[in-house]
Amino acid sequence: MSDCINLTSEIRERGPGGGGRDGFEACVAAALVCAAGEETEVLWCQDRKGVLTGWCRLPSGGSLLPAARAVAELDGRLAMVTAYLPERAREKGEREIAYHFDLDGATLTLTVILPLQWARVPSLTAIFRNCDWQERELMELYDVQVVGHPDPRRLFLDHSLPHAPFERLVPYSTFTNAATGKVLWDKVLAGEREEP
Amino acid sequence: MSTKLIELGPHQLALEEPMYFRVKLEGDRVADLDVLPGQVHRGMEHLVMRRNFYQNITLLERLCSLCSNSHPSTFCAAVEEVAGITIPERAEYLRAVADEIKRIASHLFCCAVQANVIGETALFRRVMEVREIMQRAKEAIYGNRMDLAANVIGGVRYDLSVEGAAYLARQMEAMKQPLDELYLQYSNNPALLVRMAGVGVLPRAAAREYAVVGPVARGCGIDYDVRKKSPYGAYDRLEFEVAVQEGGDVRARNLVRLAEARQSVSLIEQCLAQLPAGPLCADTLPEIPAGEAIAKSEAPRGELMYYLRTDGSDMPVRLKWRVPSYMNWDALKVMLKGEPVANIPLIVNSIDPCIACTDR
Amino acid sequence: MHIQAEENAIVPVRLFRINTGSCNGCDVELAVTSAVTEFDVEQLGCRYTEAAREADILLITGPLTVRAREEVLRLYAETPQDKVTVAVGVCPVSGGVFRDSYAVDGPLERHLPVDVNIPGCPPRPQALLAGIAEALELRRARREGGAPVRRALPVDNFPARGRLSYDAGSCVDCRICRHVCAAGAIRFEEGETGVSLTLWHNSCVFCGLCSHYCPTGALSVTGDWRLDHPAADAFRQVERGEVPYAPCVGCGEPIIPAAPQLLHAAFRRPNPDIERLKSLCPACRQQMSIGVPRR
Repeated sequence: MSDCINLTSEIRERGPGGGGRDGFEACVAAALVCAAGEETEVLWCQDRKGVLTGWCRLPSGGSLLPAARAVAELDGRLAMVTAYLPERAREKGEREIAYHFDLDGATLTLTVILPLQWARVPSLTAIFRNCDWQERELMELYDVQVVGHPDPRRLFLDHSLPHAPFERLVPYSTFTNAATGKVLWDKVLAGEREEP
Repeated sequence: MSTKLIELGPHQLALEEPMYFRVKLEGDRVADLDVLPGQVHRGMEHLVMRRNFYQNITLLERLCSLCSNSHPSTFCAAVEEVAGITIPERAEYLRAVADEIKRIASHLFCCAVQANVIGETALFRRVMEVREIMQRAKEAIYGNRMDLAANVIGGVRYDLSVEGAAYLARQMEAMKQPLDELYLQYSNNPALLVRMAGVGVLPRAAAREYAVVGPVARGCGIDYDVRKKSPYGAYDRLEFEVAVQEGGDVRARNLVRLAEARQSVSLIEQCLAQLPAGPLCADTLPEIPAGEAIAKSEAPRGELMYYLRTDGSDMPVRLKWRVPSYMNWDALKVMLKGEPVANIPLIVNSIDPCIACTDR
Repeated sequence: MHIQAEENAIVPVRLFRINTGSCNGCDVELAVTSAVTEFDVEQLGCRYTEAAREADILLITGPLTVRAREEVLRLYAETPQDKVTVAVGVCPVSGGVFRDSYAVDGPLERHLPVDVNIPGCPPRPQALLAGIAEALELRRARREGGAPVRRALPVDNFPARGRLSYDAGSCVDCRICRHVCAAGAIRFEEGETGVSLTLWHNSCVFCGLCSHYCPTGALSVTGDWRLDHPAADAFRQVERGEVPYAPCVGCGEPIIPAAPQLLHAAFRRPNPDIERLKSLCPACRQQMSIGVPRR
């Protein structure tokens, strides 16, 4: 753990833009290894403008909390949480949640892979206060339980709408009011034929 | 002291958009706040998965009309990152021009609304009249006063002719004196000072804890602007200072906005001076391979982030975005705590909240 | 005399707004009509009110979200019986780009009667004033009897993005316009005599992407922004044209011939051989170029 603390002070000095790209990347990688285990790897990409984007698939759902704490130690800021059903999610029985952090201009994404059924993640609200709405939103849009959320009420969805609309990719038309378009167009095309 | 709960809606909050608050009062002072969003939830993140990349350019521009250009331009940047497209230099500059024009108009709208909230009707009308210079310029260049339709995947779909650039330069010239005058007004006018200075304070430590972004963060002395921290488009070749204020109050947030609006004028002038010749768009109809990407920008209200995941088809597997307003609502609890009820509408409007953006 | 003067004093017509979940474009432009002298509704003898029960004219924006429905209907119920209801922007009429979302419960007409539509996305202030003027005229006609009169407005030459125009003569039926249209405003129908395109102005959001990607310029953006109309005519606000089939000069199969605009876009200077291609069906084109139809 003391190694991790040393890394934190080092990253504060170097920063992603301070010319010490390798040092910065090494610090983040070491902090994540320290927190989430040996097999944790970060793939960094640098765009033409020099902006760094790091991608890291966490070895297990259990490593999310320690990894998030490590990012907080590095002065990271939670920027966004993306839940999604990846390609062939149903075949593989898997879903993913990506946690995107800002490290002074660099973006680090930690991805957890979860089972499609009965997915659970720990709430990060104790570490990042601003995770509150992000987690409330993902709980209502996806079939994911956030354990330990202080206020798990619905946020954006009206109470008359079914739970987890983003899970219902197929069939689509029966669930949304996709019929609206057809009804309107029938009237447009009919209205037109009445004309001389 | 008596405690009671009141519910406030768009009419009481002086908002153009529907948003509801449940406010806990102790005596006549705010003790706590529950923000109840969702009225403008249009299921847009679901819709974008059912539309192809081209349709999503227009759909996303209608997420919110005040920062409408930030959405398609940041979305296109994410698509371009996945597809490995480098947009032409001229397009980078033209995207910056569109973004900065929108920034000026958006910031002025926010400052105008606040003047109206505190009963400074003449100032409200004055700021709106100054904003009209931008509205007219948008319509002249892009054909619409709100939704510019400037972006396509691979670049832009508008150009500035020599005459167009000269016209825009004249409009920029016309903005300078009014913007300088407004900055002084919001800085020193006693009628505004008494309502805005020391009101709705967000201390810097709280700003960090609540992780606010944009002018709300910069008004608390946090030197963070995506255009500097993660340069994109033409911004690595444009010169500007990040506008920072220390007060953390309503006044500081407005001074950040007005300083930024003035800087946007300079940024547009720099773009016009540097505008390189060349194509507007890299490729008309590019193939979008499987992949994932993040794109960020500094929208008028602060850091905007897009995550795009694709599978080689022409629709996104997932397109997620986080708007700046989303990050700023929670901090109202700090800003409003201990404030009288009468200050609620002003403080709420001082974070320039966008409900359409928040609810999606 | 004094009483006479009082009776003639102009009582402002009160406008009340309801946002049913809009992107705020129409709302911000409506704010302009209360703040900017040039576009002030005062010039029409109107003023805005914050009380639903005072609404002489009700202006409604947005696609009507599921979440906003209850509050919208509550406010609507407070408005007077004899008000005139105006749908501002295309969202209330068709849902615009938000149609068919799980969170949208429009069109507005399913829930309450609408009198006037003002298409646009958002409509420019001049269009808002024209639509409000139409609502005033309808109100006058209802109170005084007689038919509402559509007043001509001064036209400015500002290059605003208005109604889309379709030239079937240069259309090659490639349907890229429909592919890129976020609002589902374009329909193709294959008939007996040809393929017809219908563009519904109450769904169109005037982004012009169809025209941008159209390879032959068959779709173009016009500056015609004056599109307000009685809600009863909502479904007749269309642009339409048919690309007739022509027999293939090789085998006689009905085909859509390539427009000259396409040939000029594809080949800077089409030669007679290339010109001949446009009147051939795909099978005959293969026959002509490689001798036999390819399997």
